[in-house]
Amino acid sequence: MTDKINDPVAMWQKMVGEMEKGFNTFANQAMSSPEFSQAMNRAGGVAAGAQKQLGELMEKYLVSMNLPSRDQVTGLAERMQAIEGQIAEIKSMLSHMAESSGLSQGSDTAVRPPRTKRPPSGGGEQT
Amino acid sequence: MNAAAGLDFAGIPERIQSEVQRAIQRSIKGVEYFSTSGPTLGSTPKDVLRSRGTMSLYHYRPMSDEIYRVPVLIVMATTNRGYILDLVPGQSFIEFLLRRGYDVYMLDWSAPRPEEKSLRMEDYVLDFIPDCVRRVQQDSGEQDVSVIGYCFGGVLSLLYGSIFQDGPMKNLICFTTPIDFREMKLFSNFSDRRYFDVDRLVDSVGNVPPEMILSSFEMLRPASRTVSQIQLWENIWNDEFVKSYRMFDRWATDTLPLAGEYFRTITKDLMWDNKLFNDTMSVGGRAAKLEDIKVPFLHAVAEHDHIVPYEAAKHLIAKIGSQDKEEVMLKGGHVSLVAGANAVKRLWPKLDSWLGKRST
Repeated sequence: MTDKINDPVAMWQKMVGEMEKGFNTFANQAMSSPEFSQAMNRAGGVAAGAQKQLGELMEKYLVSMNLPSRDQVTGLAERMQAIEGQIAEIKSMLSHMAESSGLSQGSDTAVRPPRTKRPPSGGGEQT
Repeated sequence: MNAAAGLDFAGIPERIQSEVQRAIQRSIKGVEYFSTSGPTLGSTPKDVLRSRGTMSLYHYRPMSDEIYRVPVLIVMATTNRGYILDLVPGQSFIEFLLRRGYDVYMLDWSAPRPEEKSLRMEDYVLDFIPDCVRRVQQDSGEQDVSVIGYCFGGVLSLLYGSIFQDGPMKNLICFTTPIDFREMKLFSNFSDRRYFDVDRLVDSVGNVPPEMILSSFEMLRPASRTVSQIQLWENIWNDEFVKSYRMFDRWATDTLPLAGEYFRTITKDLMWDNKLFNDTMSVGGRAAKLEDIKVPFLHAVAEHDHIVPYEAAKHLIAKIGSQDKEEVMLKGGHVSLVAGANAVKRLWPKLDSWLGKRST
């Protein structure tokens, strides 16, 4: 029988685990310094500025080509999602109205169970 | 056994055979991995009750013959999708609650649209949550509502509960909810006010991109992503491991952007000025003090939470004004506390035991 002491696979897994912990600890210490924050935010600020400028440039280019930009396509997709949401909401309202007026049919509008449940006596944790 | 070397020579052929079989399985399953899409998540039957831009309110269809009187509204964190609480049958917190007789609603978020960059903390706390609570009341026909907030959903629930102290919130449960933002050491350093120009960022990009949010989470444990991929390769022969990996990996990388103005407030009021902890927080001019929350309160924290360390969450229980309050620390991390095999055994039964008594 092999155990964890002499199992090379288990030893490898343990080593990987230890390396992960060690690297994370080391990196966390390095990232806790004000110098790291300064460098990270300087790079981030430059990237955000560049991203904004590039976005604006691309937008102008796409407008000149009479093509929709990514934002516009995303906007359309999200409008579609919003319309779907509104339809779902209307459907739910209709189901609710049908339920209140006793016209319910199907799983969407099934009569809800009574709100009479009591916790199990004894109050012990259930598993 | 060679006692001196500590090696079991007799077991070596068996071990080699097992490893060869696994290597073959890895090759077969590795191809499968890339040609399939993984388990379907968030499939518990539900109806959309309300949908306004980034906000969606779901009602899950009951799964028991009778339900508790008080409905439950789950408020999800704004950085992530709610399906972490509804992974697959047998590992779904939502399904667990439904089978235990709760009437469950969820306030979930989708990516804010570009024009929603102006959403403020006020919109979340004074509009979205109260709107959902009203809708839950209408739909259930009950005045009382229990609220469960996960991570930053817990912060929003605390702000809501402290402002709307006269109801209708009947019970409040927070999972891994930070209030002392100084103790989120790395996030605090990343957003150091001397170097982090939040105004410039928000004014440049509008909504804060999900890549930035994801990177800041991943930077907390920079080696873990690589190691998890090594572990995936080692265990790719194991269907259960792969299924679990895919569920959690998909969720973790499915990060949402944050509305710009909302992010600006989080940075300035919470990360910089620590206002919730210092009792100086206000939302839309309305004071939000934790001592004003008087309803029964449960806070579940994780022993190995690297995103919200215990130091950032531990003062919550003392600051809450309720008489009936409890903090429970459970084994696990930020996500495994609420989802996955450990949550099934630890958090979920504890929550059921606590909430059932307070839901009649």
